[in-house]
Amino acid sequence: MRITLSMRERKNPYIPVEAEKIVPSILMKGTDVTVYEGNKERRLADLFEITVEGEAASVDEVEVVLRGDTSRVKRVGEYMDGGRITVEGDIGMHCGNFMAAGTIEVRGNAAGWFARELRGGTVICRGNAGHYCASGYRGEKKGMRGGKVEVFGDAGDFAAEHLSGGEVVIHGDCGDMAGVEMRGGTLTIHGDCARPCGNMTAGTCTVLGTVLGMIPTFERTGEIVGPDGGTLTAFVGDIANRGKGKLFIRNFQYLE
Amino acid sequence: MNELLVKNAYVIDPINRINGEVMDIAIRDGRIVEDVGPKATVIDAGGCLTLPGGVDSHTHVCGTKVNFGRYMSPEDMRAGRVARRGVKHATSGYSVPTTYANSYRYAVMGYTTLLEGAMAPLEARHTHEEFSATPLQDMMANTLFDGNWGIMNAIRDGDQERVTEIVGWTLSAVKGFGIKLTNPGGTEAWGFGKNITCIKDEVPNFGVTPIEIILAMIRACETLRLPHSVHLHCNNLGNPGNYACTVGTFNQVPDLNEKRQTLYATHVQFHSYGGSDWKTFCSKAEPVAYTVNNRPQIVIDMGQVMFGKTTTMTADGPMEFNLYRLHHDKWSNHDVELETGSGIIPVYYRRKNLVNSVMWAIGLELALLVKNPWQCMLTTDNPNGAPFVKYPEIIALLMSKKYRDAEFATVHPETGSRVVLPALDRELDWNEIAVMTRAGQAKALGITGIGKGHLGLGAEADIAIYPIRVGEVDPAQEYRKVIDAFSRTKYTIKRGRPVTRDGEVLVHGENTTIWVDPKMGPGHDISQDTEFVKMFDRYYSVRMSNYPVQDEYLKRSLRMETEAVF
Ligand SMILES: [Zn+2]
Repeated sequence: MRITLSMRERKNPYIPVEAEKIVPSILMKGTDVTVYEGNKERRLADLFEITVEGEAASVDEVEVVLRGDTSRVKRVGEYMDGGRITVEGDIGMHCGNFMAAGTIEVRGNAAGWFARELRGGTVICRGNAGHYCASGYRGEKKGMRGGKVEVFGDAGDFAAEHLSGGEVVIHGDCGDMAGVEMRGGTLTIHGDCARPCGNMTAGTCTVLGTVLGMIPTFERTGEIVGPDGGTLTAFVGDIANRGKGKLFIRNFQYLE
Repeated sequence: MNELLVKNAYVIDPINRINGEVMDIAIRDGRIVEDVGPKATVIDAGGCLTLPGGVDSHTHVCGTKVNFGRYMSPEDMRAGRVARRGVKHATSGYSVPTTYANSYRYAVMGYTTLLEGAMAPLEARHTHEEFSATPLQDMMANTLFDGNWGIMNAIRDGDQERVTEIVGWTLSAVKGFGIKLTNPGGTEAWGFGKNITCIKDEVPNFGVTPIEIILAMIRACETLRLPHSVHLHCNNLGNPGNYACTVGTFNQVPDLNEKRQTLYATHVQFHSYGGSDWKTFCSKAEPVAYTVNNRPQIVIDMGQVMFGKTTTMTADGPMEFNLYRLHHDKWSNHDVELETGSGIIPVYYRRKNLVNSVMWAIGLELALLVKNPWQCMLTTDNPNGAPFVKYPEIIALLMSKKYRDAEFATVHPETGSRVVLPALDRELDWNEIAVMTRAGQAKALGITGIGKGHLGLGAEADIAIYPIRVGEVDPAQEYRKVIDAFSRTKYTIKRGRPVTRDGEVLVHGENTTIWVDPKMGPGHDISQDTEFVKMFDRYYSVRMSNYPVQDEYLKRSLRMETEAVF
């Protein structure tokens, strides 16, 4: 089953749409659902042109395709438990949060909180992701617990904050404070980043580019060979919080 | 003229010695009267349990400390989210919810009067502002004096009159209700990185001891004729073996007041610990309850712990720091210049944890071992032991041995060797529960005279009708029904107006703030005292003229004027 949602022309395209119902398991049962546009409840069909092709016996046979300007559509794939969502353009905040299974692929850019508190499944962004990609949420101690997040462009600040399980791969650069409060899982950054992994207690973070503002509370333990064959400096920390996380870095410059 | 008639109410009103009589209650303009005209609105209580509106004599719902709990626990706001509807504001939060959430939830449980347990005088405005956003309950604020520089200096100088003058001036300046001492001297010591272990330790830099502070404040309280007694959070909260300090403190308290207790000791569960460390930690509820039983001048509240998530917050800064070192989670600490301080951390009380299981048992033991229900109030020190929404479960635990046994079977297996709870067969009756949740609390606070906690002629028409018929339910067996009934009134009536029905909030409401204004007579105005003014100018970061809370901060104000007798 393939459900295509094409965004209609909107009078004000900046008003966010709360679209937690755009999830394969809900839409396979019918597309007559409502979402909020700002504080107004709307039928999904009022905002999107909807086409449904084929049938599905289980959620895994469902693909939802989002087309048009979906950069203000929030919470797509929230609590998703199977199937596939393909976003042809950009997607709004909180895409894939709490997702447990299935696949989300965003061909454009993803806004903030992309795949936050992910529990399982695969979430891919071909463009850039905003701040708090694959992170936890305000006040919570555990962030992403499982699954895989892959960003082919850059990620903003606080990528993989509170990571406690699963795998995060950023092919481009990260902003400030990637992997802070990490307590499990693996984070791999192919590009550069600043001040990573403060207060980390467990897990593994690998930076194949340059770390700026490296914080001093990591203990240098030696060198290893990285996944690309080059040498990486190995650290353990954050010792300020009795942490035993692993941090592997190609180049670094200490915080001044 | 606004008239209401509640018919067929099964009334328990301990203050007026009514224990289960079916009667009608007539209300005119917010007060209970003899009868009303034929045009009065009628509510049929249908024989359901009808009590005076609930009174909570120790809770933390308003003020800087509570609000900081909100700041630092955004995850708490993920629970309890309800959209705005009708007269209701949007709400969110569980252990530190929004003010409206507190107000609605208390109202749905039949509570109409609350005492905020700790207000720092310097930060009183914030408390009063949040009071005005707690519209369905009348509010009072206990005012913190545990580390007040002016008072400690006066005590050291042996100047009791000056102690009384400072208390009187401060209470009316900040529109407070009673005197609260939190770990007296301890929070001030904490400002210098130290703490106080018990009543005989000296407060650094001031040369006074906690017991001197407690006794001087008791004398000041009685001289000022305050409605409520001194309200004490003992020293050494939360530490193994602290029961000795608690008993030692109680034994020093004289009996000075005929109408009420001379000391209200709060959240005594946290102060009834035996053992010498966490490994030997055990209950000492028995000696504490024994002391209370022998000293009618003492009233306590339980400070019951219930399992689950909550937030602890207290003016006891050093204690919160110790908790932080135990849990390594987030922590906040706050100093209030010249007066007090506070600390906050989130906690999770677990059944699988031996210490937490023992704490849970101790609160219940205190309530069951204190013979006279007028001496032990039902509280959780909300939200420290648990959010107040757990009260119905606590009521059921106290009324049913069967329920206690069922719960006891789920706690840490070693708990049985540390507590006496399984041996206690007492099951409280409806009248005793009514005492511990409203009548006793109103009496302890000294507000029965303004019509709180009872349903006699002239009383405030604050009434809770619970959907339960006493004759048809055996609380010892059907404890689920008790929990359900106390969780949601059929009607909560505030000042003669139904404010909730079957859990639905009906009106926006408007609270009254009850405060005390002691008149001390000429020659006793401390704000004219040159030394006091000098201290104020030198150390406070605000001017004395900006210190008092202006009338505008109180929407409706009920000033209780007292006449000091020096
Ligand atoms: Zn308290």
